[in-house]
Amino acid sequence: MKLLQATSLTKKFQNKIAVNSINLTINKGDFVALLGPNGAGKSTTINMLTGVIQPTDGRIDFDGRTSNNCEYKNKIGVVFQNSVLDDNLSVKDNIMARARMYNKPTQIQPLINKFGLESIWKQKYGSLSGGQKRRVDIARALINSPELLFLDEPSTGLDIQTRTAIWNVLDELRHNMGLTVILTTHYLEETQNADYVYIIDQGKIIAEDTVDQLQKKYTKNILTLYYQNGEPKNITVSDKNQAIQILSKNSQVISDFAYRPGTMNDVFMNLTGKEIR
Amino acid sequence: MNGLVYRNLKMYFNDRSGIFFSLMGAMISFILYLAFLSQNMISSWGKVPDARLLLDPWLIGGTMTITAITTTLSSLSLMVKDRESKVLADLSLTDISYIGIQCSYLITSVIIGVVMQLIMYFIMGTYFLIVDNSTFDLSLFPQILGIAILSSFMWTIFNLLILSFVRKVDTLGKISTIIGTASGFFAGVYMPIGVLPTTMQRIMKYTPAPYNTAMYRNILMNSQLHKSFKDLPASVLTEFKKIMGISIQLHGTLTFQQDMLIIIGFAVVISICVLLISSISRRLVISRV
Repeated sequence: MKLLQATSLTKKFQNKIAVNSINLTINKGDFVALLGPNGAGKSTTINMLTGVIQPTDGRIDFDGRTSNNCEYKNKIGVVFQNSVLDDNLSVKDNIMARARMYNKPTQIQPLINKFGLESIWKQKYGSLSGGQKRRVDIARALINSPELLFLDEPSTGLDIQTRTAIWNVLDELRHNMGLTVILTTHYLEETQNADYVYIIDQGKIIAEDTVDQLQKKYTKNILTLYYQNGEPKNITVSDKNQAIQILSKNSQVISDFAYRPGTMNDVFMNLTGKEIR
Repeated sequence: MNGLVYRNLKMYFNDRSGIFFSLMGAMISFILYLAFLSQNMISSWGKVPDARLLLDPWLIGGTMTITAITTTLSSLSLMVKDRESKVLADLSLTDISYIGIQCSYLITSVIIGVVMQLIMYFIMGTYFLIVDNSTFDLSLFPQILGIAILSSFMWTIFNLLILSFVRKVDTLGKISTIIGTASGFFAGVYMPIGVLPTTMQRIMKYTPAPYNTAMYRNILMNSQLHKSFKDLPASVLTEFKKIMGISIQLHGTLTFQQDMLIIIGFAVVISICVLLISSISRRLVISRV
């Protein structure tokens, strides 16, 4: 079911086009990733979708509402790239003050439990570690029980444990409450679990599809042969049969081999010709 | 809106060094007075009995005005910081309207101005009660509270007008320093208005500061003025009031009520300017991310 549709979304800053006629379709309950290098226009796109900035051209439709509509804002939650919480206030004050800014009643306790905030509830936000801060950020974005959660580069600078913990909670919310998540990232592995991926470069969508399809379309499987003299050699192969053929032909001269399917990294490299991260 | 006022108040009162620096202007005037200004003035008013008891509430009056100016500015500066750090953009995602967001900063600033003025009043009043045996008349409290609310509102609006043009936290620091220093002069604390050159006096009268101070001094000094001047000719009292900035000269001598009307007048005119500017700045806030 379609939840949000953006049609030929464009944003110009003075003489620079940050986002150039982007079309997005977000389905309910999906986890959608916007992938692209720094400066590709991901944050600008998110800012337009959240109604923080107005697009120069194009339209956004969320269940028949536009992005500057009050009800629209009530249905979304946003975690900004740079945290906007107050360092000087405790986690409790940050969360409770925010809860009082909404007219509808809010449920705080379940969020405290889910994100493990009890132990840091009375600490100042500024004294928390990067991972703890992110947990508070996301919990705060969920206060108004949004249908759609925007995460702008949420795991930049986080360790793998925190990242996993955050993703587990978000997955749970998606499955239990049908939360839709839009994520921008330049971490390729984060897109691996996405239902749908838009790859953005220089303000344009250069490819979009499910992860499987993108990998199928834009990558080949890679077979690495390690010769006995220690030299490795990469060969791209179309399927396993070709790989077995090559392996049996070379079985006498190789000491080891590795076989891996194409990853999002390869997709990105093949599409843009540049390495990211 | 409650949530935002609560958050803004917490932000101010949680920041100890911020509170200290917002009271800097007031503390400088207090310390300068204790260090040498009081001695200077007492010797120049040697013919007036109990000059010290007159000058203590005189200083309190001026320092209260400085406190109103600097603490409301310090509170409102949160708005500039929020604008720069995109907190305003984030707030626009909540159910609070743009006007509601603006009003929250105003309400916070008025509350902080009143609270800090009263705190300064009690600190200075208690100090002079202990050191100089000055009277600390609690029956004046309702009037003091009234003036504190009026001056807090007045200076909130005034500072809002100034901050409408400030986009960077860096500029904000410079402006606070200028206003903090200037407030002592304009409130007529560092030097009594009467001893300044006429041009300077005229410039001061274009700001609400001397009227604000005059209101406070009228209330705080009233009983001691009667006591000290009861055996002296009325002309000496008039001269004292004029030089010390207890009655401001503006086409004649202003009364307490006229001082108040002038301040209300300032508040109305500045409010209109702020409203005009805010319709422009609204677009600026939303386009700035």
